[in-house]
Amino acid sequence: MDRVVVTVVGIVAAVGLSGLVFVGINKLYDLTEKRYPLFSATVGALWSVIVFGVLWGNRLIASPVVATLIAVAIGAAAGYLLGVTEAPPRRLAIGAAGGTALGLLLGSSARSQTWPSLDPIGIVIGLVVGTGLAYLLWIARGRKHNLVSRLLLGAAVGWLFGAWLAVDLDGSKAEVFVTAAVLGALVGAAVGYSPYPDGVRRGEIAVASRKYIFLAPALFFVSAALVIPLGRTIWLGFLTGNPRELRWTGLTNYSDILSDPGIINFDGFSGMFSSKLFWLAVVLAVVGIAVGRWTGRTGGTGLGTGFAFTTGSLSLLAGGAALLGFAIFTSIRGTIPNNLWWIFSVIIFAVSLGLAVAVLADRSKGENIAKSLIFLPMAISFVGASVIWRLIYVARPPQDPQTGVFNSLWVMIGEWSNSTAASTVVALILGLIIVALLYLAWRAWQAESNTVLAGSLAVVLVLGWLVYRFVGPGIGGFKVSEVTGEIIADPVLFIQNAPWNNFWMMVVFIWIQTGFAMVIFSAAIKAVPTELLEAARIDGATETQTFWRVTVPQIFPTIGVVVTTLIVTVLKVFDIPKVMTNGNFDTQVLANEMWERAFTQLDFGVGSAVAVLLFVGVLPVMYINVRRMQRERLG
Amino acid sequence: MTTTADRATPTTESRITQRRPLGKRIYGFLRSIPTWLLWILVIIWTIPTFSLLVNSFRTRDEQRASGFWNAFRDEGFPTLANYDEVLFPDVGAGLGNALLNSAAIAIVATIIPIAIAAFAAYAFAWIDFKGREWLFIGTVALLAVPTQVSLIPLLSTYSNGVALTLPIIDKTIQLIPDLDLSGSIPAVWLTHTGFALPFAIFLLHNYIAGLPKSIFESASIDGADHFKIFWRLVLPLSVPVLAAFAIFQFLWTWNDYLIALTMIGGNREALPATIVVASLAGEFGAREHLLTAGAFVITVVPLAVFFALQRFFVRGITAGSVKG
Repeated sequence: MDRVVVTVVGIVAAVGLSGLVFVGINKLYDLTEKRYPLFSATVGALWSVIVFGVLWGNRLIASPVVATLIAVAIGAAAGYLLGVTEAPPRRLAIGAAGGTALGLLLGSSARSQTWPSLDPIGIVIGLVVGTGLAYLLWIARGRKHNLVSRLLLGAAVGWLFGAWLAVDLDGSKAEVFVTAAVLGALVGAAVGYSPYPDGVRRGEIAVASRKYIFLAPALFFVSAALVIPLGRTIWLGFLTGNPRELRWTGLTNYSDILSDPGIINFDGFSGMFSSKLFWLAVVLAVVGIAVGRWTGRTGGTGLGTGFAFTTGSLSLLAGGAALLGFAIFTSIRGTIPNNLWWIFSVIIFAVSLGLAVAVLADRSKGENIAKSLIFLPMAISFVGASVIWRLIYVARPPQDPQTGVFNSLWVMIGEWSNSTAASTVVALILGLIIVALLYLAWRAWQAESNTVLAGSLAVVLVLGWLVYRFVGPGIGGFKVSEVTGEIIADPVLFIQNAPWNNFWMMVVFIWIQTGFAMVIFSAAIKAVPTELLEAARIDGATETQTFWRVTVPQIFPTIGVVVTTLIVTVLKVFDIPKVMTNGNFDTQVLANEMWERAFTQLDFGVGSAVAVLLFVGVLPVMYINVRRMQRERLG
Repeated sequence: MTTTADRATPTTESRITQRRPLGKRIYGFLRSIPTWLLWILVIIWTIPTFSLLVNSFRTRDEQRASGFWNAFRDEGFPTLANYDEVLFPDVGAGLGNALLNSAAIAIVATIIPIAIAAFAAYAFAWIDFKGREWLFIGTVALLAVPTQVSLIPLLSTYSNGVALTLPIIDKTIQLIPDLDLSGSIPAVWLTHTGFALPFAIFLLHNYIAGLPKSIFESASIDGADHFKIFWRLVLPLSVPVLAAFAIFQFLWTWNDYLIALTMIGGNREALPATIVVASLAGEFGAREHLLTAGAFVITVVPLAVFFALQRFFVRGITAGSVKG
């Protein structure tokens, strides 16, 4: 119960405080026009709090509470007086007096280890450089501001460096009084020298301040959490050693990473040419080209190349390319190829399945239910999804019943294919389906519907192969025991067997992201103007033609958006490999590699270098996004 | 009676007269395969979640002995024993405590970025200033930056503060003192806030910039300043997009694993539920049966949010992705 109370109080405090600060600052600037003295006093007090608060946080002042309270009083008083005084000489006097008072306060409360020993050379250099820079800045900013005020500020900064920061801190109490009083006087004079703002100017301040107030929190958090850390990480990537004593090492981290066989190795590359996958890809591609050439010659849309980009030829080529990708990524191994493989298969499957569901569900019965259920995994955490799919993939010992869906089915198929009765029944059923499909193919041939023809023939091929396996050598999770000659169950170790365990983990990601792709495609399909579709139909286009020639070109930009979003999401995949294998069994990915190196081995240099590789991976996506936004916003 | 008969007759007749030949019917059936495919896909997509739900109500022995489809043959199904064991700290994993932490993280890390992003989105949309376009594009471009690039510097800021060593004079100034934030929930709040902003600003800006210009003009003629316009007009009008982003961010922070793991690390008191479940998953053994209940507990909150507010969620995802 205590913990509930503490949690609730924490939540309310965090939210309330942030809200109060924002509203408070806005209210403060509301005062500028009508109650300027109050505004001025508050600003003076706030600056005193900030300066003394920072010194307090750095443990540079003794008795911080008393000093801060007095500083607030002086700041508020000086601010109020400046807010009611218009005559320039008096303003200057008030500013300088207030600043000097604050400086003396600082001098009296500064801890002894901060007492500077005054050095005339440093002071002269500091003042010259400070005022010089202020003058240059004044010119660079278009000579808009008050020159004297700027020069005084520049002198104050120069004094701070020359008299305090650049010297040895072993001075006397008198020296710190002088240093702090001069600093305070310079700043105070700079403030006091500024002209008294008239009504118009105050109105301008009220308006102009809003953009800063509105943007400041966002820009602060974005720079603190993204921009500055990004720079520091790039810098850390060139360093090595333990986190306390890092030293420069140039590109060594990167060359270490890229020569690590765990990160990328081509050993298996020659093995690719003896893999079934590769040759299946080649066959598909060759058939695809042949079909394209053949339809192109018999009058398809050749585009003058004699090659027809029809559903048939394109899907064969795409299938070939996909299989080729899998052949490559199962033979070239390591963390980087793994990440590329993740991107490759998640994009292929999530985009095609998402598009398929969006098209199939569009205007069909129960569209909303179907879409909700496909979309549902989007709400589930990667951790939850990993646990869920571990249950699906689990492999029990051969003698036990399988409790995972996949292995249970796989072992059951194995049993069927080893029983004459069962395999006959399966073969008969498959045979009937094949006959039906052949009939469909024949009708499609007559109706000159190439898509249906190609699709049904492809399914017939797969089913025919299944019939062969059932009747012939057998299929499924079984093996013949070498000892007894018995047939025993042989479950697949989905999570342990490399390299395909990677793919089984990608399935989890695909399961989640298909819903994302579907939702976006669905919205895009619904946004296709109906007039276009109707016009196409009136012109006699079939449903398939309408889809490929009208809908797909219309939603093409959306496909780009989905693909870029997916690339960014997949590239940083971390939770699934972390929970399912923790990078073991050849399943390492960059994000987990980075985490392991940085936070387990405490090698910040290499960890940062891996993070930089991830960043380089998203650069093309960032470029595309920026170009898209430029087009949309700047015209 | 007669009316029903009258209505029924023509349909029966037409069915008989329009009865198509066998071949046509098979063809028609095969043409309906796409619909079948859709529903098969839907079932496949639902099975994993469903199996988790069923298994979480089965005892340890039953979970090990047979698949979830045998649940209804079990004795004593359904049982709440797993939930009992996983939620309460004395017996099990202490997920109850972790759920509180998850709530604390998710609620604050949802509200604060929304507020900050709303101010910024308003400024980018309706306050004119130099370099506005570039600042906006630069901010939003950061939404592609992977979290990983920030983890090391952020963690060291939280645990050691930020010290700047000045060149030439070789003095170190502590810009941000050692706040000892690592291992605490505020560290996670701050990190989530920073990472959420580019997307939040993008989403909110798209909506706020699309509000009709006339309302701003008439409001400023009436003497309202930016703060009043924002507070009285923009916030109430933007409720749909604020809700969309809130759901998004809530799910993202509730489901987050990486940031909490990095920033909270070894502080068991402050760990959110995802980490507790993930560490259960890492045990492989005695408490494996608790995993189903644990995973379902951390899933049920986002699912409830999702089903209750699906409309907003979908709007949030599609906004900005589809033109128009």
